[in-house]
Amino acid sequence: MVSAYTPPVQTLIDELGRLPGIGPKSAQRIAFHLLKLPSADVARLAHAINDAKDKVRFCERCFNVAEGALCPICADDRRDATVVCVVEESRDIVALERTGEFRGRYHVLLGAMNPLEGIGPEQLKIRELLTRIDAEGITEVILCTNPNTEGEVTAMYLARQLQPLGLTVTRIASGLPVGGDLEYADELTLGRALEGRRPVDDG
Amino acid sequence: MIVEHLELIDIRNYETATFELRPGTTVVLGDNGHGKTNLAEALAYLATLSSFRGVPSDALVRLGADRGVIRATIRDDDGRQSLIEAELTVGGRNRVQVNRQRLPRVRDLLGTMRVTVFSPDDLVIVKGGPGDRRRFLDDTLVALAVKYDAIRLEVDRVVKQRNTVLKSAKSSSTNHGDLGITLDVWDSKLSDVGGRLAHARATLVDRLGPMVQQAYRDLAGTATDIELGYVAPWRDVGLETALAHARDHDMRRGVTSVGPHRDDLTVVIDQMPSRTHASQGEQRTLALSLRLAAHRLVTERTDSAPVLVLDDVLSELDRGRAGALLDHLPAGQVVITSATDVPGRVDHTVRIVDGQLA
Ligand SMILES: Nc1ncnc2c1ncn2[C@@H]1O[C@H](COP(=O)(O)OP(=O)(O)OP(=O)(O)O)[C@@H](O)[C@H]1O
Ligand SMILES: [Mg+2]
Ligand SMILES: [Zn+2]
Repeated sequence: MVSAYTPPVQTLIDELGRLPGIGPKSAQRIAFHLLKLPSADVARLAHAINDAKDKVRFCERCFNVAEGALCPICADDRRDATVVCVVEESRDIVALERTGEFRGRYHVLLGAMNPLEGIGPEQLKIRELLTRIDAEGITEVILCTNPNTEGEVTAMYLARQLQPLGLTVTRIASGLPVGGDLEYADELTLGRALEGRRPVDDG
Repeated sequence: MIVEHLELIDIRNYETATFELRPGTTVVLGDNGHGKTNLAEALAYLATLSSFRGVPSDALVRLGADRGVIRATIRDDDGRQSLIEAELTVGGRNRVQVNRQRLPRVRDLLGTMRVTVFSPDDLVIVKGGPGDRRRFLDDTLVALAVKYDAIRLEVDRVVKQRNTVLKSAKSSSTNHGDLGITLDVWDSKLSDVGGRLAHARATLVDRLGPMVQQAYRDLAGTATDIELGYVAPWRDVGLETALAHARDHDMRRGVTSVGPHRDDLTVVIDQMPSRTHASQGEQRTLALSLRLAAHRLVTERTDSAPVLVLDDVLSELDRGRAGALLDHLPAGQVVITSATDVPGRVDHTVRIVDGQLA
């Protein structure tokens, strides 16, 4: 395809356009915004990205963001190791922690099943979850994926994988806005949803 | 609900134009190609957030402009006024405001303003493919209750997701144990939302049947028998079972062969399928009857008449039927576009020439 922009500008637009939620128009707008900024501002942004990428990694156990091998929650031995709450992203942990309702550990899938975006069960940290069950003596798994199409389907998939293992598998109660994301739910609603979780019926 | 004021900025062939609309029947006169359908389309866009011509919203922005604005003041039956604004940006995100407050999502506007459009294109409901008839049913459902918009979008999305799984299963040799469960859960989701949509459509078809017959008799003045049917062969066994039966076939083809996205509406006129057997005039009257029945149903159920736009439909009818149509409309605001004078009672007349009020 012939591009109207010189190669460095086009590369920048292409890279920005790969970010979630940024379409071609937004990518173009952000690119030209960046080009207009003073060099120092651009350097600061580039540094922040690199620094975060260097210093932050994923927890070896639960795939939450961590600075060391384990995230602060996995490193805290007062947390109940027998209950695990499965979420799509680290930011969902922040939302759930705000409720103060949950004292167990987490497992971050790093996404939800979304074939259109090339994400199937293999691309998620599902195998890693299954290996944690025996290793950590987990007896209850709470499925806290988002209450939207992809989150629901992922929860169903996990339930099918987990139920034969003889665990208690529950789904966060509805009452959350349908089609929404956990991160936007207020802590009261989210706390109630967590308390009112229901066993998943055998599908 | 009525529209009191409609302003178009860089919409289709309008640079800027303001229409003051009043209760009753307004006729918009203009020669071919001067902007009558464009006006109807803009009005309906605020109600449905899509073009009734079935084109993306970019097409509504005036050629050469980056964005266009449709702005309307509406007054509901309690006398409350609201200002509705939609900003359409070519290749970008559209924005919607109500009373100067931006709505978080554009689709949150649905239900605020209600418009029914009769257009010569409605003929596709009778003559077109199953997709045209499903669209008629779904549009009517959304006009009855906004929640059906989310359900219809979710069904579309789940079908696309399932098709993607089917295609990838064909091309790669991934672990089949997992693939089975992956398809099971997508099937289960599709049968859940798809089942709800199909149930709503079937109920709607049952309600519309006698109303379409009545509408046809009102328009044609004949004792014609009309029967509607919702065709969804999978409903005997349930969608989950039907999807399971179809799985091998679907995996070979890489598409989902059963479900609400394949269903159809049949319209039978005097024992004959209308799509293949009815005359041109009968088909045209049927299309009008379907719209009129849906408009009456929405008016009855929501207890308030949507604004009715008749885009150039009168000129296609003989004088008898045109008059009958006007006589049988529920009370409410009506906008009629036409290139020639309109029979019947007209409260106001507006003339447009080349995207400008004359
Ligand atoms: N995006 C656009 N920008 C500028 N002009 C446009 C755009 N889209 C359509 N037009 C022009 O708008 C004109 C009026 O179209 P419209 O369909 O409203 O005519 P009409 O009055 O309904 O005519 P008819 O009586 O033939 O149905 C057309 O001639 C077309 O060229
Ligand atoms: Mg026209
Ligand atoms: Zn951890």
